Amino acid sequence: MKKKSFINNSITSLILFHVLLSSNLIYSQSPDELIPKDAVSVLGINNISLLKKIPLDDLIQYDFMDEIHAELFDGSTSNKTLKDSGIDFDQKLHVFYGKNRKFELAGFTFGIKNKKLLFSVFDDFDKKENWTNDVELYSSQFNHLLIKGNSAIVLRIDPTSERVSVITDSIWLARGYSQYDYYQEEYYEGEEDELNEEEIFEEEIVVPSDSVEVSDYDLLNKTYWELRDSITLELQFEYFKIIMNELFLSNIHLKSKDKNFEKQLLNNSDGIFYLDNSRNFSSTNNIWYFQTLFPDLVQDIKEIYTGNVILGQINLNDNQILLNFDANYSERLGSIYEALTDTRFDKKVFQYIPSNTLGFITYNINLNKGYKQAFDVIVPVLEKQNDPRVSGNLLMIELINEFVNTEAVFNTYKGSMFACFNGIKKVKTKKIEFFYDEETFEYSEKESEGEEEMPIFTFGFSTNKNEIPEKILKYFSKMTSRFHKENEYWVVEEALFNSIPIYIINQNGLFIFTNDEDLAKFHTKGYGSASLSGIQAKKAKKSKFMYGHFNWGLTIDKLPQDMLSKKQNDLINAMKGKTGVFELSSSKTTKEKTSFSLEYTFEGNYEHSGKYLLDLINTVYVMSKD
Amino acid sequence: MFIFRKLIQITKVQSPCFLLSIPILLFLHSCIEISDDLTIHNDGTGTFKYVVNLSSSKVKINSILALDSLDGKKVPKISEIKQMIDEYKTKLENKEGIHRVKVESDFSNFILRFQCDFDDVQSLQKAIKEIVIEKDKQQEIKEINHTWLDWEENKLIRSVPTLTQQTTKRLKSEDLTRLKEGTYISVTRFDKPIEKCDNNSAKISPNKTACMIKTNTYSLVNNLSILENTIYLSTSKTPQ
Repeated sequence: MKKKSFINNSITSLILFHVLLSSNLIYSQSPDELIPKDAVSVLGINNISLLKKIPLDDLIQYDFMDEIHAELFDGSTSNKTLKDSGIDFDQKLHVFYGKNRKFELAGFTFGIKNKKLLFSVFDDFDKKENWTNDVELYSSQFNHLLIKGNSAIVLRIDPTSERVSVITDSIWLARGYSQYDYYQEEYYEGEEDELNEEEIFEEEIVVPSDSVEVSDYDLLNKTYWELRDSITLELQFEYFKIIMNELFLSNIHLKSKDKNFEKQLLNNSDGIFYLDNSRNFSSTNNIWYFQTLFPDLVQDIKEIYTGNVILGQINLNDNQILLNFDANYSERLGSIYEALTDTRFDKKVFQYIPSNTLGFITYNINLNKGYKQAFDVIVPVLEKQNDPRVSGNLLMIELINEFVNTEAVFNTYKGSMFACFNGIKKVKTKKIEFFYDEETFEYSEKESEGEEEMPIFTFGFSTNKNEIPEKILKYFSKMTSRFHKENEYWVVEEALFNSIPIYIINQNGLFIFTNDEDLAKFHTKGYGSASLSGIQAKKAKKSKFMYGHFNWGLTIDKLPQDMLSKKQNDLINAMKGKTGVFELSSSKTTKEKTSFSLEYTFEGNYEHSGKYLLDLINTVYVMSKD
Repeated sequence: MFIFRKLIQITKVQSPCFLLSIPILLFLHSCIEISDDLTIHNDGTGTFKYVVNLSSSKVKINSILALDSLDGKKVPKISEIKQMIDEYKTKLENKEGIHRVKVESDFSNFILRFQCDFDDVQSLQKAIKEIVIEKDKQQEIKEINHTWLDWEENKLIRSVPTLTQQTTKRLKSEDLTRLKEGTYISVTRFDKPIEKCDNNSAKISPNKTACMIKTNTYSLVNNLSILENTIYLSTSKTPQ
């Protein structure tokens, strides 16, 4: 009896366990499966325990947290680390971004260990009605937090301004207004930054009178910009609804739609990177314009770009971050890249890179082969089209190919180049000085030589025909006195910022531009024994397509921030205080892919590599945002 | 970054001009030369010249002009700067007691030369005050009532408004150090010979008709009284 009871109990337990397991399989959704299919780039951190020690106060200082930190974090995060945020460090964290013609979306997915702790951090989110029975929805002003089981997604969706404009303009015009009326309305006059918060909150909200229906009032009285805001909100909700239904009702997400991404998720490196370039290509507005004119052509070109996905892995060592990534191609696109990079390394460039350079990059391509292969791939696509405009352009391309000596063109400009940054030097400029007559104190002016600090750059291109650029330079020297030849180099006066000369060295199969007077005057044949050699030169040569080496700590301190744009300065500031070396190298390109490797070796005092990883993420973010 | 707006504003006059030049100095982090040259004839009429020379910073200025914005503010195009200069010139031309206003702007070397004739120093000060008030409609500038030029028959008093002092308090020490490279020259000329002046750093020309104070912009920022001067003229009618 006891035995029977034990068997019955065991069977019951097994059934219950099976049911529980099945229900868990059916209803659970890992954070990986919460990434919307519209995400074009994803950065995944597999080993998020690395980030445990990072104080939240430090985290919110990063630029990439700008968009969300005001909403997520406030005084409640003080003295807390990510460890106290309720996040499950045994699950992966993914940050994603995507843009198509209709909307832009950004967010991150993660696992939850302790919901109570999570909401001590995400305390600006208000609970809303559940999206579905098992999906909790919380919203703040711009962001949404959705939780299913132990998985969560924070999401922000914004309709593209083009999409909002199309709809707003059509309603605006239908209301009988002219297209130009709204330009008269004041909106962004650049004065809003002078308003303080009190003024904003004290602003009176105008409520329509009882006698007028709210909807009528809105329709009749909304200005162009108010209408635009309303449409933006409506579209935000519409797109949010679509994505949520895809994720939680139809189980459509990036992992289920893209095998490449699914494969990436199996990678057990410290982090992964995914960028679908083909979708970036097809979602651009220019392509959309062409699509309406030449749908078949755009479809064919899309096919060429299909599979153009960049997949990368991030690995962290004690003092190094390694980023390995493959740029994958379709066979046709790959054949163009393969031909383009089929070239011998031009060793002459080393002669013009000093061994003490702060950073240099070499780039080797064979434009001639690349052009021929592109011609062979693209012309058949164009030949298939029946549109007379496409045929006309095709004829022009074929005639140019037939009559122009492309060999000569690509022998002059082969495509390979190098660049180096050699720090800051004082360069000579001309200035006007005041001087006074000692007798009368009458004022006069005289021209004299001055000096100003400038970053010293050198750019060079490989050429087999130095005589062609020489002819062009001679022509310019006859046209203007600003071009003149000095022994073995050319000078273009006041070429940079209307003040500083540029020197051109056109010999030895290289065409070099520099603002370094020392290089032009004393090293027209190169730096000789003081030129780049040894391990870095070997690595550059081996890397073939592309190689870069930057002594980051020294370079960044010497960059003239006054002369750079805000974006460039943001990038520099994002990495300031770091020392170390960046090294970018590439493998031989095949029809399938080119592999790249970016190594960031850091030196000096640092807390832990997780902090460095965040610094790197932040730099990538600053670089990628507009 | 209102560098060029300030550049235009410095056409106002003498001490306020220096005040308005300070942001330019800080921004450029390098050399600037400013010269003011005031001539007062026996009948009280006169000529005021003001020159700002940024030619030794032209690389930096050109690099800034190549940007769309700096420190969150739009960088004006040269055409916009020219337009603003023309507007201020027209405004000044229409002021009572002001004649023959000339503004030469050299955008190759970044030198701005301003010159105007006036019926008397009161007209000059009134015109400048009105333009400042028109420009800063929203802001009450008490210091604008300060008299920085006071002319009696044989005596001229030049001074600096306290507004300048307040502005300089906001400068960082590194910015102040950079000002050492700049120069400020103030010249006052008369038909009559100068008998004496009470500023010890002022130099009287050998022909006695001009008085010059030369200083660096750093010293000026730290001690505004450097430019303050009372010049006494000889009672005889011709230069000695």
